[in-house]
Parts: sequence; C-alpha cells; structure tokens
Amino acid sequence: MKIDDRRQKTEGRRGLVLLLLAVLLGLGTLPVSAQSIGNVQMDEADLYAMTKQMGQFIRRFNYEEDQFGYKINPKDPSYHNREKRQQSLAILFDQQTYGNQPDLQRFFIEDVTQDDSTFMTFLGGRWYSEVSATFKYKGKDVSIIMILGVEKEGLGSKWVLNNIYFSEFNKLFPTGEISEKEKHFLHPLSHELDFMNIYKIFKEPEVIEYYASKDFVPDYLTLFFYEIKRGNLVFQNVDTVKFHVFQIKDWYFEVSWFNRNGNNAGWLISNLIYLPEKDKKDLIKFYQP
Amino acid sequence: MKKILAILAIVLFAGTAMAQEELDFERQQAIDSLALEKVRDLSKYIKIVGSKETAWSEANRVIDRAEELFMTNAEIGVSSIASNNIKYYKVRPYFEHLMRLNYDRVEIEWYNIEYVSDLQRQPDGTYVGIITIFQTFRGYDKEGQLAYKDTTKKDITVYVKRKETQIGGRIIGFWDVLLGDMRVKETTNK
Repeated sequence: MKIDDRRQKTEGRRGLVLLLLAVLLGLGTLPVSAQSIGNVQMDEADLYAMTKQMGQFIRRFNYEEDQFGYKINPKDPSYHNREKRQQSLAILFDQQTYGNQPDLQRFFIEDVTQDDSTFMTFLGGRWYSEVSATFKYKGKDVSIIMILGVEKEGLGSKWVLNNIYFSEFNKLFPTGEISEKEKHFLHPLSHELDFMNIYKIFKEPEVIEYYASKDFVPDYLTLFFYEIKRGNLVFQNVDTVKFHVFQIKDWYFEVSWFNRNGNNAGWLISNLIYLPEKDKKDLIKFYQP
Repeated sequence: MKKILAILAIVLFAGTAMAQEELDFERQQAIDSLALEKVRDLSKYIKIVGSKETAWSEANRVIDRAEELFMTNAEIGVSSIASNNIKYYKVRPYFEHLMRLNYDRVEIEWYNIEYVSDLQRQPDGTYVGIITIFQTFRGYDKEGQLAYKDTTKKDITVYVKRKETQIGGRIIGFWDVLLGDMRVKETTNK
C-alpha cells in the first residue's frame, strides 16, 4: 500500500473517531463501551477523551489545544477562547465525584474563565506532585509521601524534593500540650552555672525538642536524607502520583490519575476547594516548607 | 528514512536558529514531527520483533536499529494493573523479552493516537518532551485461542538538542532527536 493511501485511510478512520468523540464530549455521559460505528471501536474514542498527560491537563485547562489534542497556535483566535475553554474545563472533572456536585464545578468554571481569567502554567509555581512510595525501613515495608515541586535552574527547570511525610518521623515530634511544654526549659541564668543543668534535657529524649526555640520546626526532609544515607530507608517502588494545584487564584484542586474505561479517564480533578489566597499560605508550607 | 529525516531537519532549521534557542510555535510543530517519526519507527520495530514470523537474525538487526533510536542508558519501565512494581529493562533486553514471549502467534496493533507534550527545557538547555501512544497486544496459543490481551499506554521521553555540523565549510545547525526512558503502563481498556 502506498504511503499516501495508507495516510488517507488512517486520516479517514481518525476523522470518524474524532467526529464520534466530539459528539461524545458534547453529550457528556453517553455510555460508550459497547458502541461502534462500522469498524471504528469506541475504546479509541475513549483514549482520545482521556487526559493522557498532566501537560495535556494544563493545555485543556487553558484551552491551548482543541478537543482532538492538536496544539493551537497562540496567534489563532481560538487560543484561550472563553466559551471553548468552558467546555474543555468541564471534561477535566472526575464525574464520579463532581457529577453529583455540578454547582461547585460550574462556579469554578465561571470563576476561572472571567475576564481576569487565570491560566495554569508549567513554570508558574504553586503546584506540587505528591508521590506515594514504598520503602523498606528496618526490614519492613513502609509508605512514604514525597512532595516535589518544579524549580527553575540553569537554562530550564527540574523537579526537586520539597518535603516528605513519614508517620514514623511524625511520631518523633508529637504536638505536645502547651502546659507540658511549659514545664521544660533551662532557666535564664543557666549560663552562670556553666550549664550544669543541661543534662536534664537528655534525660527525656522524647521531648528534647521542647528545649528548642519556639520557632523550631522539624525538618523531615533532612531526617529522610539522613535515614537514606545511613541505609535505614531503602526505596522500593512508586505506588501513586497525584498533583496539588494552588496556582489558580482563590482555588485549590487535586489532580489524580483515573485508569478506567469510558470518556472520563486519565488526569482529572479529584478534589476542588474554594480557598481564598490568604488561607493558602499555611497550607502551602507543607508543600514548600 | 534516516537520511531523509536528517536532510529534512537541516532544511527546516538550517541557519535560522543558531542564536535563537527559544522555540516558537512553528518550530515546535516541526520538532514534534521529527520526534513522532522516531516514535513511529519504534512502533514499527516493536511490531516486527514481536511477530513470530520474523526470523531471528532479522529481529536482531531490527533490535540494533531500535537501540539507535534511544539515548545510552535509556530504560523501559513496565507495570501491570495487578502490580505497582515497575520492572525495568534496558532497550535490548526489552526487545529480547518481546522476542521470546511464549505464544504461538502474537498481534500488536497501535491506536491512531499520538499525543505530544509541550517541550520543556531541562537545566542544561536540552529540550525534553513526552509522546504518549497506545498499543494492544494479543497472544494466541497453539490451538489459536486468545491466551492474553492487554492495552498499554506508552509514555516515551523525547530529548531534543540543538547541534551543529559542518557541510562544505559551512556550519549548519540542526535539531537532534533521541528517545529516552519509556514508561509502559497497562490500561483497563481491553
């Protein structure tokens, strides 16, 4: 078969699938798995509809690609088109969660597509990846969450480790009662005694941090590096990946991977919260200490 | 094909991007096409090596070609729905594994979906992108019965680097495209 013929056939088949996909996206919840037109299998339409990469999520979020996945030239009038963006945003929600909460979804879409629209950018900061992984710790499998962020460096950028969550580390630094904390201190004239009383700090190692400055915050990432370097923590495998996005004004959302059939799969918004900017600061501290 | 691509790369980009490292939309589109050609070659090689009708010597020649598509030390990470564990292969062992699969007949088909990410620059200035493709694999036993079927999503890293070569005393710039790590993940799509 000549290349041109093959290309024509492929284009024709693709055209049918795309047409079908356009109809599906328009109708939203039409069941697709059992349907076919001619020899075009519906599962191919599902794969077109799937948000296949986080980068595609961003492009669909901003309407920088059309519904068929083709990049739109920034000079093209349809680039960032408001109406099309509203349709594109609607397919980015996990419908099992947000099918029942259409008001929140609609409010979000209206808000981010107003005249002072906010767009998501790869290098715009305030979006983080949560990588849940299994490690061996003292011979046992444990789950550790690693938080990564995109950092600019040199001529480009890279993902860097920002923080980790490991329950064993958190147990070492429990949030104590204030009254209990107030019992532990070195009196202000200890220096005159050559700190002869400092031995008391080490008698109760479980609360040694009470003797630190009130500004002390345990640095779990350093502990993590230490345990890795000592050989006590050994990486096994990545279990799940999701994203936390604080970049959009007054909103926070999570993007998770949905490996399932149908036209609502791939990277989708799994959790959406209206979060005014002033309330984000404390939350972001976990993602970017 | 390789010669045609190399010439195409030079014709498209010669003398226009030497001092211009940022990619405009049209140039990105052209680079996407080059990267897609590499991925299509890879798809073709997987199909040939996987086929039980391909002679051993021919399969080995194709594996050599496949290795040339990738950067040194590129890895292929494979996982299934049943397990999060990623099994890592170098390029040649991955193809050899494919060649040795214990089926009487296999069918490997590719969906007409090629999703190309935006290119991002890494700290050393090299551009990196991901191309996503989908493949259906069917393995049949001696009785001709379907013994195994899966659909996998393949996310393939593409590295794009600006390089220069001298032709007839003239320095010509071109974009060199190589494949990097590939993640192979089973989908629920049967």
